Amino acid sequence: MKLTRCDQLFLFAPLAILLGGWLVVPALLGLGATLTTYSPLTTTFKFAGWANYSAVIHDPEFGEAVRNVVLFTVIAVPLELAIGFGIAYLLRPPFRGRSWWRALMLLPWLVSPIASGVMWHFLFGSATGVIDFVFGWFGGNQAASPIGDLRLALPTLIAVEVWRVAPFVTFLLVPGLAAVPEERWEQATLAGASTFGRITRVALPAAKPLLLTVGMLLTGLSLGAFDTILILTGGGPGTATLTPALYSYERAFETNDWPIGAASAWLIAAGVIGVGAVYLRLSTRRSAS
Amino acid sequence: MVRILLLSAITAAFLVPLLWTGLASLGVLPDNNSRPPSWTGPATLQHFSEIGGAEPAFWQELATSTTSALGAALITVTVSFLAAFGLARARLPGDRSLTQVFLVLASLPAMAYVLPLSDLIRRLHLLDSFATIVLAEAAVTAPLAVFVLHGAIVQLPTEWEEAAVLDGAGLLRVLARVVLPLIAPSVAATAIVVFVLDWNMLLVPLVLTSGEVKTVPVAMSDFFTFERELEWPTAAAALMVSLVPLAVLVALFHRVLERFTLQAPAGGDIG
Repeated sequence: MKLTRCDQLFLFAPLAILLGGWLVVPALLGLGATLTTYSPLTTTFKFAGWANYSAVIHDPEFGEAVRNVVLFTVIAVPLELAIGFGIAYLLRPPFRGRSWWRALMLLPWLVSPIASGVMWHFLFGSATGVIDFVFGWFGGNQAASPIGDLRLALPTLIAVEVWRVAPFVTFLLVPGLAAVPEERWEQATLAGASTFGRITRVALPAAKPLLLTVGMLLTGLSLGAFDTILILTGGGPGTATLTPALYSYERAFETNDWPIGAASAWLIAAGVIGVGAVYLRLSTRRSAS
Repeated sequence: MVRILLLSAITAAFLVPLLWTGLASLGVLPDNNSRPPSWTGPATLQHFSEIGGAEPAFWQELATSTTSALGAALITVTVSFLAAFGLARARLPGDRSLTQVFLVLASLPAMAYVLPLSDLIRRLHLLDSFATIVLAEAAVTAPLAVFVLHGAIVQLPTEWEEAAVLDGAGLLRVLARVVLPLIAPSVAATAIVVFVLDWNMLLVPLVLTSGEVKTVPVAMSDFFTFERELEWPTAAAALMVSLVPLAVLVALFHRVLERFTLQAPAGGDIG
């Protein structure tokens, strides 16, 4: 139907007010404030130019945080996509109870990131944990919790995140794979394609645009990794699992260094927007062809 | 057959941690000191009543979580439905990339924008307000909802809408009588996913409260602070209480949830 001006106002105004008032306006005010010495605790402030950003970038601790989150993202996101895709592929052909199974598989994602942190804290603990229980069966000795180990902490956090997010990827991919016409699978089978061939020649091309979209979402969320890490390691041991989000939160609320916290938060936003720009190019180029 | 076996093994592996937590909440704990490790019991419901002792406001917080997530999900879906319809039908220039911009917005992590929001809210003396938290949560999940609902609406044929307009229906009537009934499953699925996101949200409600209006995740965030090492069975019981409502919701609506899809960027069949 043709939309009049008035119709458009009615349709778009509520969203504009919600996003504008709660996200855009505060964000822009905050962006302006990072160019000053503004802090909620002080009454006077003056223009500071790029000083806050320069201080953040030259802080070696922030460098560590960026290194950790980049590692976290480049390992966790492909793993989540691959495992999520694998399970979705298994769930693709219609069988009795498939939608039940898809719902059951979603359970880990229903655990909030913070609850996941609380849960794994105990599961990794020695007295009550699942790891020592399994080790015990093989006669192993009690192992120290991997989250306290300098080298194991980050890989462990990645594993915990993959456990929670891969099921959500499956949930998002199953409808996309199920929408592929049945003939396409049959043709591939008739042409003598193995399981591997069916995955690379039918399933992956069909799921590619969806994988791109899901990959964007996961990348953004990984770059802001916060909740689970806050409760499992608090960024430690040392700075082994510190992320920019934790860095920003600590500066703003714990060491009362608001300008540094706010400026580093904007650097996270800039990172995600950078990835978003690449995503926009990729997704619109596809639709133009 | 191989497929079902493989699926069962993977599902079991993913669910073991939750099973472990569920057993612990019932007081069934492993004894890792004996060889081979064994279980201690018997099962009891006592740990659920201990939650209130460890976290006196827990049931209050559960009520806050439920009502705020319900309110936020309703607002998000209503506002996003209107905007998604507008986006699908207004023929704005560059509307394809505009839709994708909403996905990028949905990918922004909360830490990127909560600091100025919390400062502004504090200055306006709106901290610890239930309405503030609901509206902020609604704003945060709106971009994802717009993206998903737009995907559902663009796939609808426009003939029914045209026919209704010829019969003299205005915009509201078209929306309520034609569009909404056609995409009701997608709207319901979006509402459920948004409800889950709101229910589990930490940073947004955390920075908008000074401690008076708390949701369950906010309460959990200081489970281990101030030397408050919780007993595992009690913590497990609290985890189960916050997980079970979502699990029930997803189980009840598992068919409707099949309609939750992130539309492919190309919008339509590729091949």
